[in-house]
Amino acid sequence: MPSIAPLISALPLLAALSLGSVGSAQTTIKIGAVTSLSGRFATFGRMQEAGFRVAIEEINAAGGVAGKKLELVLEDDASDTNKALNAAEKLVNLKVPLVIGAYASGITKPLSQYLARVKVPLLVATAVDETITKPGNPYTFRINNQSSVYTRSLIEQLGRMGGMKTAVVLTSNDAFGKSVLNDVTRLLPGAGYQVLSKDTYDKGLTDFRPLLNRYKGQNPDVVIFASYEEDAVALAKQVKETGLAPKVIAGIATGFALPDFLAGAGSTAENYLVTMIWNRDVRYPGARNLYTRLKKALGGNEPSQHAAQSYAAMLAAADAVRRGGTDPEKVRLALTTTRLNTAFGPVTFRSYGGYTNQNAVVGLITQVQNGQFVTVAPATAATGKMIFPRPR
Amino acid sequence: MDSASVTAFFQTLAQGLLTGGLYALIGTGLSLIFGVMKVINFAHGDFLAIGMFITLALFKAFNIDPYLSLLVVAPAGFALGFLIQRFVLARLGDRLGEGSMLATLGLGLIVSNTLLLTFGAQPQSINVPYATTTFQFAGVQISIPLLVAGLGTLVAIVGLNLLLYRTELGRAIRATAQNPLGAELQGVKTTQIQAIVFGLGVAFAAIAGVLLMPLLYTFPTVGENYTTKAFIVTVLGGLGNLPGAVAGGLVLGVIESLGAFYISNNYRDAYGLIAFLLVLLLRPEGLFGKTVKRV
Repeated sequence: MPSIAPLISALPLLAALSLGSVGSAQTTIKIGAVTSLSGRFATFGRMQEAGFRVAIEEINAAGGVAGKKLELVLEDDASDTNKALNAAEKLVNLKVPLVIGAYASGITKPLSQYLARVKVPLLVATAVDETITKPGNPYTFRINNQSSVYTRSLIEQLGRMGGMKTAVVLTSNDAFGKSVLNDVTRLLPGAGYQVLSKDTYDKGLTDFRPLLNRYKGQNPDVVIFASYEEDAVALAKQVKETGLAPKVIAGIATGFALPDFLAGAGSTAENYLVTMIWNRDVRYPGARNLYTRLKKALGGNEPSQHAAQSYAAMLAAADAVRRGGTDPEKVRLALTTTRLNTAFGPVTFRSYGGYTNQNAVVGLITQVQNGQFVTVAPATAATGKMIFPRPR
Repeated sequence: MDSASVTAFFQTLAQGLLTGGLYALIGTGLSLIFGVMKVINFAHGDFLAIGMFITLALFKAFNIDPYLSLLVVAPAGFALGFLIQRFVLARLGDRLGEGSMLATLGLGLIVSNTLLLTFGAQPQSINVPYATTTFQFAGVQISIPLLVAGLGTLVAIVGLNLLLYRTELGRAIRATAQNPLGAELQGVKTTQIQAIVFGLGVAFAAIAGVLLMPLLYTFPTVGENYTTKAFIVTVLGGLGNLPGAVAGGLVLGVIESLGAFYISNNYRDAYGLIAFLLVLLLRPEGLFGKTVKRV
């Protein structure tokens, strides 16, 4: 049969190819990452991927780590906890020195428990649930601030603005949302606020009108939301629709911090306050350049803070491997002494106030002005003036 | 109660009724198909998703106004339903009962995965200037797109009734529903009629998708939720009972809205299911069905 001949002649070539790939494996260092490239967190996953790739490009262009190039082994968790655990297991079997990931808090928490059990460090780039680092474990390190920093920076800002007494809070019914709800209801009374309503909603809810009508009847000064992308858009539209008009509407990072929120909600997003830790106008050295490179990696789409956090996570991973080699235990020790200044901000993992290996970055308050996030607080970082109260 | 919370109550009630109108439109399609063919369409919500995505695609590609895309979506939905009946369901023959369940479930999976491959997993929405416009009536704020959706439902349902009770085709459809064999003997081409009915049912779901698009975001599996809602609506109203489906939709919309307003938002989907179970237990023929005499 003539059709087999080319196959047979191709065999040595195939063997050479597979040998070649074995050879190259020895000259690269694999960095494992798990994120949501599909499923409901896919937008955030794309942001993370862009951050990883930009960082790897930068590191490899500068000669790699210990003479070897870094190689990203990116696994999709499909926005599902079980798939994330399978992906992590696969990475552990590949003998990666550490894992970066995942996006959502509900996925990251079990991931951190699993990786601590197999003694491989997990570097959390974005998930903000308090319990990931409080109490945390020796194998989990977090670049992003914990959720209470986001809420605290907002509530301190509300205090500075003054003249407001009542608030309502609505968050998603998951690890991230509950963490925020906890923080907000704990911190608000201390700041002199009365919490008129606190609610959570299940994913898939698209009609927030009854709740917003109830809030309208309560006439609060401040409305605080925490939710993922699609819900943030639906919320902004329905707030406008129901005529709810508080003095301040604030979103705690996540969905509200996405460029997609600006695009989807359009003019209804105007003057929302959004807490973040990185924005295109931050004043860290190299931030503007990072913004440009992230935007390019996203095919011209606007990058969010999640991309910048992931970039910093990859830099911290490379730094730890440079100092600790590829043994997970040595990498873990190296991470505890990380001292980095990046275009995302400073990265050090400290244990304090019940948190373990937690980085601390200055919380920014941005405001949506003319369809852009403009940093309006704290004063040292502000590039624009806050519009307050919200025009009706 | 102060005046602000009274207004909030009426606003919730009004929005519940308008949302319920959309549920009625979705439920009517399902009920019509069941009434004539005794087929439960498990892909009903996915056909709604098709309506949403066609609207989205037309808007993104040609900047066509969502409501204008009704002109494309309604005939496309009809044609799709017609072909599905002709080339899938009609071929099941005697196995239509259990076969249609599996066939429509499979069709639903094909639809949602095709949408996933074509449009990606991320939620998408259309941003038209009038999406958040409202008008005030006695302090109650009503969304214009929600009102348009309610009126659209009204037009579609009145149109369906005119078709069923004022035309020859309608007479043939009703005859097929009552007694397919008898209708066939009287010269009604029942296979043709069934294809038309399935087409109408799918078109109704797709039209509901269009009406929802300015209000909501969409994603490939958006239909699941609406399939459930359609079942609840039809059971509340009585299977195959069209006026019942309309009433069932309105009841469901109001129950959900008031439940979320007064009790808790977290059990929102439970309110409809509780009503569904109560109706099944106490009035299996549906709230608005004819009482079945038990022997």
